[in-house]
Amino acid sequence: MSIERKDDHDHKAWIKEKDLTAIESTFLTVLVWLDRRLRIVDYLELLETLYYRVNLQMPKSHTEQYNLDNKFWYWYPLYSLGFFSTLSYVVAAISGALLGFYYSPSAAAATCGVDGSTVAYCAVAGIMTDLNFGFFLRSLHRWAAQVMTAAVFLHMLRVYFTGSYKEPREVNWLIGIVLLSLTMVFGYTGYLLPWDQLAYWAGQIGVEMSLSIPLVGDWVAQLMFGGFSLGQATLQRMYLLHVFLLPFVVTTVIAIHLGLVWMQGIAEPH
Amino acid sequence: MGDDSRSIVVPERLYKTVTVFSTLFAIVTVVGGFVALDAATKSASAKASEVSVPFAVLGIGLIAAGGLVYAFASRFRARGMATDKNSDDQQPNNG
Repeated sequence: MSIERKDDHDHKAWIKEKDLTAIESTFLTVLVWLDRRLRIVDYLELLETLYYRVNLQMPKSHTEQYNLDNKFWYWYPLYSLGFFSTLSYVVAAISGALLGFYYSPSAAAATCGVDGSTVAYCAVAGIMTDLNFGFFLRSLHRWAAQVMTAAVFLHMLRVYFTGSYKEPREVNWLIGIVLLSLTMVFGYTGYLLPWDQLAYWAGQIGVEMSLSIPLVGDWVAQLMFGGFSLGQATLQRMYLLHVFLLPFVVTTVIAIHLGLVWMQGIAEPH
Repeated sequence: MGDDSRSIVVPERLYKTVTVFSTLFAIVTVVGGFVALDAATKSASAKASEVSVPFAVLGIGLIAAGGLVYAFASRFRARGMATDKNSDDQQPNNG
């Protein structure tokens, strides 16, 4: 993209006629010389024009129409939390796929310097100590997961307190609740994969929570954890949930969630 | 800002040139100056005898130059941008 030169002003003559000190006129001459060659200002002005043209075509929002911006502006940064959740989901997906190259969900015994360690544990330890950028990769995955959980929860609070869940967006609110729950399941299944002490006893709590459900408790524990005590079956199920089932389900539900926002538009504050 | 601070009203387009290029210059020199200073002192961990004096002076000089240019550029302003209320082109209105 090239732009025509609009700046016809005769800077040289202007600088000469103005009563300036030697330093000032030299300073301005140097900057005008640079401006003629690098043309950064011309391109910035182009962006500025684009920005205003795009915004002029937007209908007035209710906050503008009823002059509420002075009361409401501090909510606007929080309108980015949904995008923030999506972004951290994408980061977690990419870093997770890379981690998957080096991880194997096996509870078989392995030796990597710790008594009673397993293949899964040693894989994670190997990623962090032997693999180039492995420590970074695992940290990125963990942080993305933590940020996503926080962002999703704060996004829910923003939607609640601005009344964005109200008619006609009830369905998207319910889908959001499903997504919040699935995010936590995602986090839980991933938490168990290193198969260290934290993971093992978190798994134990999971089994006991399942068993505490009336009527179907035994069945849920069998289905989710592959039995009443933890072992290979548990780890394998968590792995499959984490890298196969949940990615498909959550990505689809996120697509529907975003599609509805696209169709219905961003909610005005109620 | 006192009354002795010099202010020069320039055309708006020239004001943009001054702002953009002086800020750019200041950022590059100040950051570059700190990088040079860091390299000269090995991130402030070098012994006094190990400090590369020319490099350190260069770093401080760059930082000073950036600050100087940034401060110098602040005397140029466009019409209607007063630094004090008593300027000729800043008539009292509803503000």
